[in-house]
Amino acid sequence: MLYMRFAILLLGCCAVGAWAQPLNGPWFVKNLYPVLEVANCRTCHVADGVAGPTNLVFPDAEASDAEVEIFGLQLQRWVNAKAPKQSLLINKPTNRLKHSGGMRIAQNSGDEKLLQQWADALSVLSPQEILLLTPPVPKRKVSGTEALRRLTHSEYNNTVRDLLGDASNPAAQFPPEDFINGFKNQIQGQSLSPLLAENYAAAAEKLAAAAVRRQAKELNICKAAGAADVACREKFIAQFGRRAFRRPLEQDQQLRYSKLFAAESKRTNNFSTGVEAVVEAMLQSPNFLFRLERTNNAKWRPYARAAKLSYFFWNTMPDDALLAAAATGALNDEAGIAKTARQMLADPRAHAGLDDFVAQWFRFDRVENQLKDRRLFPTFTRELALAMNEETRRFVHALVWEDRNFMDLVSADYSYLNADLAALYKVPAPEESYGRVQFPAGTMRAGVLTHASVLVQTSKPVETSPTARGLFVREQLLCQHVPQPPPGVNTNLPEVKQERPMTNKQRLSEHLTNESCASCHKLIDPIGFGLEQFDAVGAFQAKFIAHVSEGKPGSGKEIKRDIELPIEINGQVAGLRNSEFDNPKQLGKLLAESAACRSCVVKKVFRYYAGRMESSADQSVIDHTLDAFARSQFKFKELMIALVTRSESPK
Amino acid sequence: MSNVWTKPTAISRRRFLSGTTLAGSAVHIGLPPLAAMFTANGTAWAAAQAPVETRFVLWFNGNGIVEKYWIPTETGKGYQMTPCLDPLASFRQDMHVITGLDNPAARMVGPGNDHHRSMSALMTGTQFTGRGAGGPSIDQAIAQKFGGSSRFRSLQIGVSQESFGESIQRNMSWAAYDRPLPPEMLPHKLFDRLFGAREQAWVKRKHSVLDAVREDLAGLRKDLGKEDLGKVDEHLASIRDVERAIEGLPANYRKVDAPDYDGDMKDWPRIARLQSDLLAHAFASRQTRVASYMLTKCQGLSRFPWLGYTHGRHHDYTHGDAPANNPAKLAGQRTMRDICRWHVEEFAYLCNKLRSIPEGEKTVFDNTCLVFVHEHAEANDHKNNGMAAIVAGGANARMVRGVHSKMTGTVADLYLTVADDVLGAGIEAFPTASRKLSGLMG
Repeated sequence: MLYMRFAILLLGCCAVGAWAQPLNGPWFVKNLYPVLEVANCRTCHVADGVAGPTNLVFPDAEASDAEVEIFGLQLQRWVNAKAPKQSLLINKPTNRLKHSGGMRIAQNSGDEKLLQQWADALSVLSPQEILLLTPPVPKRKVSGTEALRRLTHSEYNNTVRDLLGDASNPAAQFPPEDFINGFKNQIQGQSLSPLLAENYAAAAEKLAAAAVRRQAKELNICKAAGAADVACREKFIAQFGRRAFRRPLEQDQQLRYSKLFAAESKRTNNFSTGVEAVVEAMLQSPNFLFRLERTNNAKWRPYARAAKLSYFFWNTMPDDALLAAAATGALNDEAGIAKTARQMLADPRAHAGLDDFVAQWFRFDRVENQLKDRRLFPTFTRELALAMNEETRRFVHALVWEDRNFMDLVSADYSYLNADLAALYKVPAPEESYGRVQFPAGTMRAGVLTHASVLVQTSKPVETSPTARGLFVREQLLCQHVPQPPPGVNTNLPEVKQERPMTNKQRLSEHLTNESCASCHKLIDPIGFGLEQFDAVGAFQAKFIAHVSEGKPGSGKEIKRDIELPIEINGQVAGLRNSEFDNPKQLGKLLAESAACRSCVVKKVFRYYAGRMESSADQSVIDHTLDAFARSQFKFKELMIALVTRSESPK
Repeated sequence: MSNVWTKPTAISRRRFLSGTTLAGSAVHIGLPPLAAMFTANGTAWAAAQAPVETRFVLWFNGNGIVEKYWIPTETGKGYQMTPCLDPLASFRQDMHVITGLDNPAARMVGPGNDHHRSMSALMTGTQFTGRGAGGPSIDQAIAQKFGGSSRFRSLQIGVSQESFGESIQRNMSWAAYDRPLPPEMLPHKLFDRLFGAREQAWVKRKHSVLDAVREDLAGLRKDLGKEDLGKVDEHLASIRDVERAIEGLPANYRKVDAPDYDGDMKDWPRIARLQSDLLAHAFASRQTRVASYMLTKCQGLSRFPWLGYTHGRHHDYTHGDAPANNPAKLAGQRTMRDICRWHVEEFAYLCNKLRSIPEGEKTVFDNTCLVFVHEHAEANDHKNNGMAAIVAGGANARMVRGVHSKMTGTVADLYLTVADDVLGAGIEAFPTASRKLSGLMG
């Protein structure tokens, strides 16, 4: 009905010549939307995209036709009702009006004509008419309905350590985990391949055998009178099972494991082989390998909550006290959850828990695996790389546990260094290794932005990469997604020649003059330019050193020369307010005070905590958390507590 | 099956790693003594009873090639070996060099960089999802048809361990949309999976343990929403694969010594040879019919000290920018030539290994079809048309060999032809395949 009305409305205007083809929602879905998809608008115009601040947010790839229709109607916001030809909807994508994304739709093309048709059609509709034409919002599978989370490798290692007293880190040999959404604990990436199942099976067998051999105290639940001691067997299964599954066993589970235990202990006439078989089986059980985000089983809910808190704060299984709290109902209301969360944060295990988050956020793995040119950077060793990570780890710990303003993260003029790092940074070494170092005035260091760990992982073996550094800021500190280069572009930078020595900034200016590159690179590179005074290993460099060579390479006559050039360290974070800066300290301050960076801290914690990206359904939790974070003067502990309390409180 | 192994001749890990032959003289590479692979009358394991099986290997090398050093100028029988192909000279009559193939799914608009897109397209004919490949890879499509009766439905083997990279770059085999099958990179672990000795009592016990796990899964299933059932079913399927692997173990295997592993896990040429040896023996002992082999990673960042190249990384050389600001792109290209030649050398090693194992009247190589691919044609350009591939082995006497052909078609067309016409797997369709490549079959 409504579409008929739409057609009738169009009839009224009829300048478009819409007779042949009624311009309605389905028309948009069928004709114009595919054009916009090919033009790749969506890569930038999404909530966390670089064009997010324009508020033009495209539906995601899985959107239904109805959602696309709604989006098509909402485009009216970018239509000039009085002069449709002047609409942003037409003039931005065609770059008739300067568009950060460049010309995505060719001027005077058939595609532009479709845009014009749609702008004309929308221009005559009143808000009420738009409302009438809007189809009902279809029910959507909300992301985050998945309830199963597999233990990550580090959770697995810590869990078997606490469950069995086994510190052998068996998961170090499992197939490596992938970073998805910036973390290794994301539900989306948690497949269970046959190889991983085999690894779990082999690890379970080894762990169980070793625990029985050692007579681990964790298995010593009762003294068996013989292989067939039923009372001791049942007690063992119930008590060990409760710790392994992080909740009491159901009756059928108890029965199942009793059967296994009985068969094994009978076969060998040995109580402990029963123990071994049960431990081995439980370590492969989905009840051990997976935890439940939510469950229909009301009995399990407090236990699922206990496990969630435990893996978030401690990166390991709940201890007896926490399981007891679940059992007594201490986790059934907001106050109880908040109280428990505070107690957990006061426990030393919370430090290890924070380590796991920090190591992934700041990609310590990348630093550890960096390789630098040995001739240019002879002091860059694995030991130094580990020290770089340690600096960042200590720094974040200080921010969190000393209740500092967490936004110092990107602006602090102090850090925690050992002697090697102090030498690299050319500052006096602290008395104690990794003691606090206040940077002398005039030092251009600003929080993690200038930590060697970040600078090293955003550099190549020889030279820095302003692009990688800009991307790091966008992705890790602003939570923005920057699209990859389009297919088939030549990503080579101009060569540096003796007669034409260039700084990185000059070489990268290619990115900014070439239309197809500039749309993204002007959002990225100018951030990185601010950090150009820090070389590929994070040391300060007053001058840029261009390495050039003369003569034919390999001819034996090749002469390598270094040419010094001045460095400019001003830049811009396009999209932020007052986003121009003159040096890294200003860049840090700008970020620390920006809403985007503050909410990014919350989003990072959310993603790690929830094991997924935030969705629109999570907005209230995120807003609430951000609000609590800001009200506490940016205390990270308050962020964590607000997040878990709001997310876990029974609705 | 169980009476084939007349004497307990399981290969111990110690012997495997010690690198000594039965006679005690030192050899360069440690490998299981071949004698263990044969029955008392000298034929390959199990060959006496079962009809000869054909096998499939999908071999992958990261990054692309430098076409002028790789692709022969001439087509047909009389083509000149190129610097990169030269290590395969002795297999000239046993292989078909195919160039000109398109990889169209790599150009579909979507997330990821060129490498991500090419890799997903190359292995599965589908678009990169943003996290992984969009469907099952060709080795898995074939394993669906071939894997039924083997101990391992398929094997995934890898060599170059790098911590860099995302799922799509580290995995070449995909079970389904976003479901990677990671390769086993550690020779001692692969050895354990294939030849670890087990006792009958152990096998029995393992089954009881897994029964409990399976029942737990069924129990959990009841409490879950449908979003999670996929995960439970995946776990269940994986448990079933673990059970099969147990089932297939010869009953009279001896217990193997505890791990004795001190290998240098960066010594990739050595690892490649150990992995190739193990794969050859896995085929010979009928443990699987399908394998994927990832020598270097997609968009790989390996260094190549054994080739004398340490200042840059694999991907850096493809774009000629190693060392930084090197005025001569040529240097990078020459390095790439040597890297690609090494890829082919290792492939030739596997071919040789397969040929060294007799099977019936012929050799294992004669009953295998190997397909060799890279993620790009010209590496610097991220080119995803005009791709080069090698199809080797004697799995089907009708397959045309001894020539270089420039063909019109897609990589998936090649896969479809190999799967159905060479191997007879009957997969019938594969994404981006629209027809068979007529030039491959005589």
